[in-house]
This record gives sequence, C-alpha cells and structure tokens, in this order.
Amino acid sequence: MSFGSSSRTVQGVLLLIGLILGWSSMAGEPGPVIPKGKGEQCVAETDFMRRNHMDLIVHQRDDTVIRGIRDEPFSLVECVDCHVQLDEDNQAVRIDEEGQFCASCHAYVAVKIDCFGCHAAVPDPVVPDPVVPDVAQQDSVDGSHWLPNKQLLAFKQTLPTAVPPALSHHKNEADTVRSE
Amino acid sequence: MKPTPSDQNKAVSARRSFLQRLGLLGAATAVAPALLPAISRAKVTALKGVSDEQRWGLMIDTSKCATGCDACVRGCHDEHGISSTGNEHTDAQWIRKIDLQDNLTGQESSLPMMCQHCDSAPCVDVCPTGASFKRADGVVLVNKHTCIGCRYCMMACPYKARSFIHEPVTDQKSLAPRGQGTVESCTLCVHRIDADDDLQPACAVSCTEEGHSAILFGDLNDSESDISIAIAKHDAQQVRSDLNLNTGVRYAKL
Ligand code: HEC
Ligand code: HEC
Ligand code: HEC
Repeated sequence: MSFGSSSRTVQGVLLLIGLILGWSSMAGEPGPVIPKGKGEQCVAETDFMRRNHMDLIVHQRDDTVIRGIRDEPFSLVECVDCHVQLDEDNQAVRIDEEGQFCASCHAYVAVKIDCFGCHAAVPDPVVPDPVVPDVAQQDSVDGSHWLPNKQLLAFKQTLPTAVPPALSHHKNEADTVRSE
Repeated sequence: MKPTPSDQNKAVSARRSFLQRLGLLGAATAVAPALLPAISRAKVTALKGVSDEQRWGLMIDTSKCATGCDACVRGCHDEHGISSTGNEHTDAQWIRKIDLQDNLTGQESSLPMMCQHCDSAPCVDVCPTGASFKRADGVVLVNKHTCIGCRYCMMACPYKARSFIHEPVTDQKSLAPRGQGTVESCTLCVHRIDADDDLQPACAVSCTEEGHSAILFGDLNDSESDISIAIAKHDAQQVRSDLNLNTGVRYAKL
C-alpha cells in the first residue's frame, strides 16, 4: 500500500516538473514576428482577426464574386493596403514574402495560401492624375492615360453616410456605423 | 406523440406572428423603391449585391467600328493588367478584333468579339465545379476560386471567348486578380460597373475616347435605356443566333 501511494507521489512530482519544463520552454520559444499594420486599428478587433481572418475573407470573396457585394470591410485589397511594409527605398514589399505580414504567422504554423498567385501582393502604384488626358497621352499605345482602376477604391468613401434602413443589409448598429 | 391542442395553438400563434412580420416586410419593400432614387443603383449593388432587375449588355455598332483600330482591346487589357507572355499562341485574350468580308459583295466590316454573356450559357452548363456561372444580373463569370482549369468551358464556348492562363502572372492590378491555372474571360468589368453608375466597361470607354463610340453599354431589361432603344432601332443581331443562347452582346448593322 505505502509503496503504491509513494509511486503516485513520484508521478505527481514528475508531472509537475514536466508541466513547469513544458511551460518554460513554450514561453521561451520565439513566436512569429508580425510586422505592424497601418493605422490605429484593424477592420475588427485584433484578437478576433488573428483567429478569424481566414473565414472573414473567404466569406467576403464569395459575397463579392458571386453576389457583387463590394461594400464589406474584409477586402483583400485593403488588407494589403494596410499591412504592406516598405523597404529602404520606400518600395512596397510583397505581403506574402518571407517575414512579411501574411507570411509571418503562416510560416510559423505551416499554412500555405495561394491567394497572392492571383491577387496583387502590393498596392497599385500611384498613377498620375488622369483627369485631363492630353492628346499625346491619348495616342500612346500603352494606354497609360487609362483611368486607373485603383480610383474605384475611393468610391467607398463617397458612400452615403446615412443609408436608409430599408436598404441597409447590415444587421446591427455597429455595422451601420462602420460604413460611415 | 400527437401534438396537444396547446402545442397546436402555439404553432398557430407562431405562424400568425410570422405572417404579421411578413406583412411588415411587405410594407418595408413597398417603401424601399420610393427611397431608391436617393441612392444610386451601383451603390445599392455594392451594398446589397446584384439582382435580376438589371441585365447588363453591350451593343456594338459595326458601322462605327474602325478596321485596324484596337482601342477596345488595349483598354480592356490595360484595365485588367493583361500583357503578352511572349508566347502569342497562349496569350490571354478577353476581347479581340475580327475583320469580316462578304464574299459576294466584297463589303468589309470589323467588330470586337468577346464573351457574349449568354442567357443560357454553354460554359455554365458544362462546368464540373460550378465555377463558370451567371450572375443574377446576367454577367457570365469564372469564379477563379473554384476553377480547376479543366477548360471544358473553353471547348463549349461557340465564340472562343475564353483563355487559359498557362504561365505564372506577375504585377496584377489590385482590382483584377489573375493567375496561372485558371480560365478567364470578359467580366463586363464588374469591378467597375458594380462600384459606380458612371463607370462603363473599359472597352466602351476606350472606344469612345478614340472617337468611335461603337460600343454601347447598358441595361437590357430597361426598355427605356439607351442600349435597348438602339437595339430596337437597329434591329441588332446575335452572333450565331441559330444557337438560341439569348446573348447579352448584340451587333448592329452586321
Ligand atoms: C486563380 C486566381 C485567384 C486565386 C488563387 C484567388 N483569387 Fe480571390 N479573386 C480572384 C478574382 C478573379 C476575383 C474577382 C475580382 C472582382 O470581381 O473584382 C477575386 C476576388 C476575391 C475577393 C473579393 C475582392 C476583394 O479583394 O475583396 C476576395 C476577398 C478574395 N478574392 C479572396 C481570396 C483569398 C482569401 C484567396 C486565397 C485563399 C484568393 N482570393 C485566391 C482570383 C483569385
Ligand atoms: C485600416 C488598416 C487595416 C486594414 C484595412 C486591415 N488591417 Fe489588420 N491590422 C491593422 C492594425 C493597426 C492591426 C493591429 C496592430 C498590429 O498590427 O500590431 C491589425 C492586426 C491584424 C492581425 C493580427 C496581427 C497580430 O499582430 O497578431 C491580423 C491577422 C490582421 N490584422 C489581418 C487583416 C486582414 C486579413 C485584413 C483584410 C481583411 C486586414 N487585417 C485589414 C490594420 C488594418
Ligand atoms: C496572427 C497570425 C496571422 C497573420 C498575421 C495572418 N494569418 Fe492567415 N492564418 C493564420 C493561422 C494560424 C491560420 C490557420 C488557421 C487554421 O488552420 O485553423 C491561417 C489561415 C489562413 C487562411 C486559410 C488557409 C487554409 O488553407 O485554409 C487564409 C486564406 C489566410 N490565413 C489568409 C491570410 C492573409 C491574406 C493574411 C495577410 C493579410 C494573413 N492570413 C495573415 C494566422 C495568421
């Protein structure tokens, strides 16, 4: 009997030591180094984004591609705009490159995404103002006078601040406020 | 177990209040159109999604389309960041110019050919994953997220309007994602028309900028729209009308 209980004590001690060791080794291991995002805040709580960004953007992509909804906040274009880093020459670095925002955690947890095989991994370069294209430009073969599609992003800012309730598909107050 | 009378009562009253709510909903939708003019159609789309109230289409006036001019092709390819890979045979082609000659009269005409946004689209029928689909507003698209690159749709298309991307793509425009291994074609510039009423497909804008105005964009469902009026006036035709696809792109004076 006494033999049994002391063995249990030993087990308990071993377990404790194991836990302590495990804990300290976890605390000591460097996590991913995540470059900081632009602005004060993400499109949702940072904690929430960490856990749920994949569902948010995949949900949004179906909304946009199939249903043409383009006023949702989880646009991949905008993730890139806020989370892209600049190099020494002030040039945007691909967001999926090693150590960059979308690659930092993913390398750490061995997730592979193919999104940036199609989606631009850097924001569009700023194109000169196309308002009054001169004749020389109009004749150019490369069509660089063309209205840069980037400008469309500006349309979101021009959305009406007060959407009539009957038209709003947003379900709660917080969502409606966000579209301002 | 048989439902007790009180269960049934609950069910009935639940149904009643549901019907009542439905009534309210009806009232709300009756009010909504009155509010509509205050907010543009595109903004409603961007917020609520596309609907079958519109059917987008193009009318090409072939008498205004100039032989040798490829402004529409350049406009389209600029907009979507399409450039040559150096291998002409496999380059993506969302829109191309075709020159026709009548064997008898020798009369020449020129026209752009692109996805005809068929109402009953063969490419949609054959797609094994549902990636080739028709939006509620009639725009036929490839959902590249579910496209497996099998190219059945390319074979089914009577207009040869689709391209397969053989090589990796770089320097994409942020609003026009494109990549290796999927099929693509004219999107009627959904990223533009969804966003703003004033924005037309790139091909139409380029054609107008070039001084030809041969491409008219608009709502085929609206009998008052410029495009519907022009189609009626010129009796604009479908290419391969024998296939009964009810195309969204019509050609005048063909
Ligand atoms: C084969 C090419 C391709 C790949 C790979 C791809 N996309 Fe897309 N994506 C597109 C196209 C094309 C659109 C439609 C753009 C439009 O209509 O404006 C799109 C649209 C979207 C949109 C809506 C537009 C926006 O920017 O908000 C989201 C969100 C999106 N994709 C997310 C993703 C995610 C997440 C992945 C990776 C898991 C991914 N996509 C991979 C081609 C691709
Ligand atoms: C308005 C700018 C902005 C936009 C747009 C934006 N973010 Fe953020 N994001 C931030 C900021 C600021 C933080 C928190 C500060 C930081 O980076 O440490 C953050 C944090 C995050 C985090 C947690 C990072 C960490 O340190 O743990 C994730 C994940 C994330 N964002 C993903 C996304 C995705 C996905 C999108 C696109 C749907 C997106 N963000 C769009 C600014 C933005
Ligand atoms: C804070 C760390 C972190 C950051 C930063 C981050 N991710 Fe993730 N992401 C994860 C984790 C962890 C998973 C895996 C979740 C799982 O498997 O349940 C994941 C999964 C995904 C998935 C789903 C992959 C799959 O195969 O199902 C997508 C898509 C994705 N992330 C997109 C992005 C994009 C785009 C960015 C940059 C804008 C980004 N993530 C930045 C941590 C991050």
